[in-house]
Amino acid sequence: MWRGDPSINAYVDGWIAPRLLARHGITLRAVEGQGPEIVNQLLVERDARARGSADLIWINGETFHNLREAQLLYGPWAQRLPNVVYVDSTAPTIQRDFEQPTAGYESPWGAVQFALIYDSLRIPRPPGTVAELARWIRAHPGRFTHDQGFTGVAFLKILLYALNGGVETFQGGFDESRYRRGSERVWAWLDSLRPALWRGGSAYPPGVAELHRLFANREVDFSMSMNQNEVVTKVRQGILPPASRALLLRDGTIANSHYLGIPANAPNPAGAMVVANFLLSPEAQLEKLKPEVWADGSVLAVERLPPEWATRFHGATAAGALSSDSLAKYARPEVAPEYHERLAADWRTRIRAGGS
Amino acid sequence: MTPPVWRGVLLVLLASAAAGPLALLVVTSVAGRWLYPSLLPEHLTLESWALLLGRGRLASAAATSLAAAAGTSALAVMLGLPLGRALARLGGWRRWIGAAAAFLPVAAPPIALATGLQLSLLSLGLGGTVPGVILAHAVPALGYVTLFFLGVFHVLDPRIEDEARSLGASRIQTWVRVLGPLLRRPIAEALALGFLVSWAQVPLTLLVGGGIVRTLPVEVLGFVRAGQDRYAATGALLLVIPATLAIGLAGSARRAEAPPL
Amino acid sequence: MSPRRIPIAALLAALPTLVGVGYAAGAATGLIGFGAAGFSLRRVASVLGELTVWRGVAWTLTTAAAATLLATAGAVLVATVFRGTARGDRAARALAVLPLVVPHLVAAAVFVFLFGQSGFLARAIHAAGVADAQGVVPTLVYDPLGIGFILALAWKELPFLSLLAFSVLSTRGPELEETARSLGADRRDVFRRVTWPILWRGLLPGVVAVFAFVAGSYEAAILLAPSEPVALPLLTWERYTDPDLARRADAFVLVLVGIGLAAIAVAVHEWARARWERFEG
Repeated sequence: MWRGDPSINAYVDGWIAPRLLARHGITLRAVEGQGPEIVNQLLVERDARARGSADLIWINGETFHNLREAQLLYGPWAQRLPNVVYVDSTAPTIQRDFEQPTAGYESPWGAVQFALIYDSLRIPRPPGTVAELARWIRAHPGRFTHDQGFTGVAFLKILLYALNGGVETFQGGFDESRYRRGSERVWAWLDSLRPALWRGGSAYPPGVAELHRLFANREVDFSMSMNQNEVVTKVRQGILPPASRALLLRDGTIANSHYLGIPANAPNPAGAMVVANFLLSPEAQLEKLKPEVWADGSVLAVERLPPEWATRFHGATAAGALSSDSLAKYARPEVAPEYHERLAADWRTRIRAGGS
Repeated sequence: MTPPVWRGVLLVLLASAAAGPLALLVVTSVAGRWLYPSLLPEHLTLESWALLLGRGRLASAAATSLAAAAGTSALAVMLGLPLGRALARLGGWRRWIGAAAAFLPVAAPPIALATGLQLSLLSLGLGGTVPGVILAHAVPALGYVTLFFLGVFHVLDPRIEDEARSLGASRIQTWVRVLGPLLRRPIAEALALGFLVSWAQVPLTLLVGGGIVRTLPVEVLGFVRAGQDRYAATGALLLVIPATLAIGLAGSARRAEAPPL
Repeated sequence: MSPRRIPIAALLAALPTLVGVGYAAGAATGLIGFGAAGFSLRRVASVLGELTVWRGVAWTLTTAAAATLLATAGAVLVATVFRGTARGDRAARALAVLPLVVPHLVAAAVFVFLFGQSGFLARAIHAAGVADAQGVVPTLVYDPLGIGFILALAWKELPFLSLLAFSVLSTRGPELEETARSLGADRRDVFRRVTWPILWRGLLPGVVAVFAFVAGSYEAAILLAPSEPVALPLLTWERYTDPDLARRADAFVLVLVGIGLAAIAVAVHEWARARWERFEG
């Protein structure tokens, strides 16, 4: 799993691990590795005919796509977990991962939504739509950029939807001609704004952490996050300024889930399922939801929970966090992983390479 | 001689280049929120150091780093000393090939080295283990140490050894009584060299360790990339201070007589 | 160990690198790895035909050369100015070597903390009353010319080259210089005809090694190198972790490019080392 956030680490090492040990006698050891690194590790393990090094992996989207394509996942298993009865089976953003049926090869862990981050002291009235954002960028040259990592690609995808009549245009699998027409508008939008972007659009922070640094230190006025509540934990950690707020663009923002998978070569898949089931329990999901813990969205449907848990879930909303109504209103699902792959690759040749 | 003023300026520059970054790391490691344009942190916290002392991640990473570096340097010297000595006795193309082979892992881009090692060591079942990481680190370290001893034995007159032998000393006596004392310093320096190669290594640890073996520089890279400057600075100090002290104690700066790499 | 077996033993030490080369060659030509579909040079041709790749290679080579030159110049300066036995000389030598153990990663991170747009320098300028301090500080992080990268790595490599320069001068210098002086050479002549030739011959193998480390450094590049051109190690890693699995074979083509450059460095290093050996022995 990704080990870069102390809040997440504290939750996994300090809350999950001791309970697993006490109740199930399972020693949970979280190790570093994310997305593409996991895929490469599993590919090399297969080439080397080596014993698997991980039992449970934290994945989503194009990583899931790659692992399925390369047949590196064990399954199906996820629908056999006892706690699956609490999972929100009506939410398309949980049941389908980048339009792919999870098919029991991964179990949902958390649900998040993309948000821009701004400082309410610097910008009392932030832009609310993609068009307003463009006007704001033109009026404030050098104060906006996006990162080159996963979050930046999610931002490109939001532009793709907004500039092409919504997510519906791209639903139902990858379509080359739609992608071409749609992405042209994204590149045109970025090209026209390029002179007003940070460093004249000639440099982009490598990852979202670097973008947070630019934002926090007033080099730019916006950051972004693939978790609408990250702003709460990052303010608490002192990484973002105290008046930082999350902002949803009314054109719609990407909502997706992250999942747990079991590698095909996992030494202990049974143990992995026990862990995944505990991570799906109301107790673990509620703890994870707390703003002082991780502020990661729950994948459970509150109305399916036993009443005593339902009330506790209702009580758990973070100060400074966005209301669940507006979140749901502007949530847009992910589309096929090829859109993600192509936007990432074409951004590099169309925008980055043309920037200097 | 250079005019004293310039010597003074240069000395001050050297001092600030050595101390400035260290001081900044120390402050960052205890800084609470510290955003532009604040010249100093808003408040101080010992949280990241507590994480170290409380047997947290940094402490275990430091222990892993120490074990890997000690193992690497011992292995590299055990193999590199005889290799370097033997290479120094060779002439012509053999020496050339040998030295080039020793330098190749040093010069190869770490990513290139790491992908090959990852496959080899995983096949041996050593992926994600400290011994696997030691073997991986030992590859570039052995290159350095071999070249180092090639230099040492090149200068060391082989006749000393031959003379001792011809005066009736056994092979073991020659090593213990004659070469041992002569080599004590080069061996200490080569151990330090091997130690440092492992101590700062990132790509090899990441790929062979598979995210399971967490050394200090790997943790620091993770913290830097996640924007966790306080932890990154604490880890960086743990990387720099003990090693610097060790070097200072060895006094290699003052009495440097190491042959060229 | 018998002399005959030595080259074999040394080759054994280089074996992991050769396995890496073999694996990279196989993966780059579609023989092994994910999606291997039989031998084909299509990937190799397409990667080597990309302008981005060559711009990245050029950037990596020029910045590595600049950083190495700067560090070498600094090392020569420090080693020649502070050769004496006075307390100041000894202190200077100790200070020059002090950051020896600082890893690339830490050097680059500290550079960002100090000289980034919101680093300590900008804050100090702001505190001195300049409102737009961030606009005043030169942009050294992600700078296309790589000046920040060059400065940070030159600082990082200075201690190693200084240490080497001290040892070269202390072991080889005094006798020869004394001889030259006794033959009537003046100070300038001694430096030009004796000290300098010793220094550069002795330093050259280390200089080549430093060049190779700087060119191969991923950790410093990720923090300091520009978005475009993309430094070779970054481009390699970017392709190695591309969301599109099919593009990962590109990374192995780039690994081969990196190994090719390393092979040139090995040849130069051997040439330099052999020269120094002849000179020394």
